[in-house]
Amino acid sequence: MAEEKALLAVFSDIDPAADAIEQLRILGVHDDCMNVISGIPVTEAMLGRPSQWTNVPRLALGGAIAGFLVGLFLAFITPNMYTIMVGGQPFTPVPPAVIVLFEMTMLGMLISTFVGVFLDSLFPNYRPMHYVPEISDGKIAILIECPPPDAQKITDVLKKLGAESVKEAEAQHL
Amino acid sequence: MADHKPHTSHEEHLREQHLMLDPMPRGKMNEMVMESMHTTSWKFWLVFGLLSALVAYALFYKWGVMILEGLGVAGVNRPSYWGIFLVNTVFWIGISHAGTFISAILRVFKAEFRRPFTRAAELMTTFGLIQAGFSIFMHMGRVWLSYWLMPIPNERQLWPNFHSPLSWDLLAITTYLLSSTMYLFLPLIPDLAMARDRTPDGTWQKVFYRVLALGFRGTEGEWTHLRNALNIFAFAIIPVMFSVHTIVSWDFAMATRPGWNSTIFGPYFVIGALHSGMGAVVMVLAVVRGTMKNMKYFIRPEHFEAIGKLMLIISMSWAYFFFNDYIVQWYGGDKWTKELLHWHEAGPMGWMWFGMLICNVAIPWAILWNKKWRSTPWLIFIVGLLINVGMWFERYIIVPISLTINRMPFTWRLYQPGIEVWLGIGTLAFFILLYMAASRLIPLIPVWEVQEGQMAHSLRKYGRETVVTVSELE
Repeated sequence: MAEEKALLAVFSDIDPAADAIEQLRILGVHDDCMNVISGIPVTEAMLGRPSQWTNVPRLALGGAIAGFLVGLFLAFITPNMYTIMVGGQPFTPVPPAVIVLFEMTMLGMLISTFVGVFLDSLFPNYRPMHYVPEISDGKIAILIECPPPDAQKITDVLKKLGAESVKEAEAQHL
Repeated sequence: MADHKPHTSHEEHLREQHLMLDPMPRGKMNEMVMESMHTTSWKFWLVFGLLSALVAYALFYKWGVMILEGLGVAGVNRPSYWGIFLVNTVFWIGISHAGTFISAILRVFKAEFRRPFTRAAELMTTFGLIQAGFSIFMHMGRVWLSYWLMPIPNERQLWPNFHSPLSWDLLAITTYLLSSTMYLFLPLIPDLAMARDRTPDGTWQKVFYRVLALGFRGTEGEWTHLRNALNIFAFAIIPVMFSVHTIVSWDFAMATRPGWNSTIFGPYFVIGALHSGMGAVVMVLAVVRGTMKNMKYFIRPEHFEAIGKLMLIISMSWAYFFFNDYIVQWYGGDKWTKELLHWHEAGPMGWMWFGMLICNVAIPWAILWNKKWRSTPWLIFIVGLLINVGMWFERYIIVPISLTINRMPFTWRLYQPGIEVWLGIGTLAFFILLYMAASRLIPLIPVWEVQEGQMAHSLRKYGRETVVTVSELE
């Protein structure tokens, strides 16, 4: 099987980039073979792209549950393991435990949200990648994987649609 | 005949006033932010050097002296066992509230004016909490035993009592420090990637930005994960913020002492924290705008105007809570509480009580009602400074002065601070020093958020009137 070729098309604005994505679909490029890279968060709806999947909210929920359980352990189990008898006071009172449960739940949720970004985005990633620095200057790039024979046709179409440059993407250290 | 200005002139005026209506190419904005980081005058290094010396002397040397000599060199003694260390802890935690307030609450409510200065505020949260941590470690005295606070299994069967407000403090402050640092870092990643792309190869800065940018490119997936995470953080960090200062207030309110045992202390402390925090944000913004290159484009009078309005509302809320706390205690008629309230106003530190009301209420109300005055950077800087002085006074009145009067008159003694004054100055110097260092290392302006905001704003004509419209891009 022939190896796929990677093209990187750079656009100055969202509109031509959205038009280019539509045209690429007509040319038979599947959505999975395209990736949009931009310097600001451009929504899928603006570009007519399928919704992106993210595990971050699920991980946040998982972290919250884990944090809650740690809170339960600290507030209700550990006082029995390390007993401190204070006259007239209940051993595992509920109102102060609510505070411990709240803080641990929030901590678990926020740490797992943070870690979720790393896991989902595969951060940190210092391998060579397809990228051009102009993207952080406000350009929008479309990274296209296509069979080598289609590369010229796609390049011509994208240039016609207003691409500032279309070139073979080279993986480089960022 | 009515004097109608031409539309173009009105539009120009709107663009001049509002950053969101005055877009520049992204590359140009990036360049301006990078230039502001790299342009440092000798004055910067002079101040940096002086502050470093002050931190070395006032914070580390003096702390070392206290560790060697013991807490006796500090002024804390019967009956005021809690002195300036605790005043500063509460003060710095209060300062830290502004970052979350501006960044999270204004993000949730989509207040667009927040965009250029969210990071400047978030940095205050992290750096403020570091100073709060230092202050509480100083208060411990035997700081090398601070790990006893942590729940670590040990053969001596020592375990923190999770029913104690001091343990809640540990949990709340740790949660807030960690979450606010993560909340600072996440939206910083795209700007670190921008800095990486604009830094020449072979420099230490390139390595620094490359490592911290984590390989971020701005793919659809990366933005989706980041946006989701920021939304979760914005909503979740707000109750954490409220919990932190509420729990700090419970360190006092849970004690059945005159002046402290109050059900309203939680919200009173939270509003006080926002009061000092907003005052500090406005000071930082005025300094950044006045001293850093290109910042006049990003931070405009409209931002001071908007924050000024918030400060006025917060000042009114603080006055409401203060009076509420005061009148309930006064009306109760408890002998010792009345004695304490009289001591606050008419005791030897009464000037501080009146100074607190003047700085926290009278001055903000006198100045911030006026749009022109609150839009003037130097004037609102002074208001912010005075609010912080007033809020520091408030904490001083609550902590050592309130401890002076108790139910055992033979122990009454006025608190005389010792080495803790130097240590307090050290934390202030360290806060400014960290901020100065950060201003040269990380982009203080979240450029991608500014550009996103500029894309969402446009001018539209309704009849003869040109109005600003904002689209929902997310």
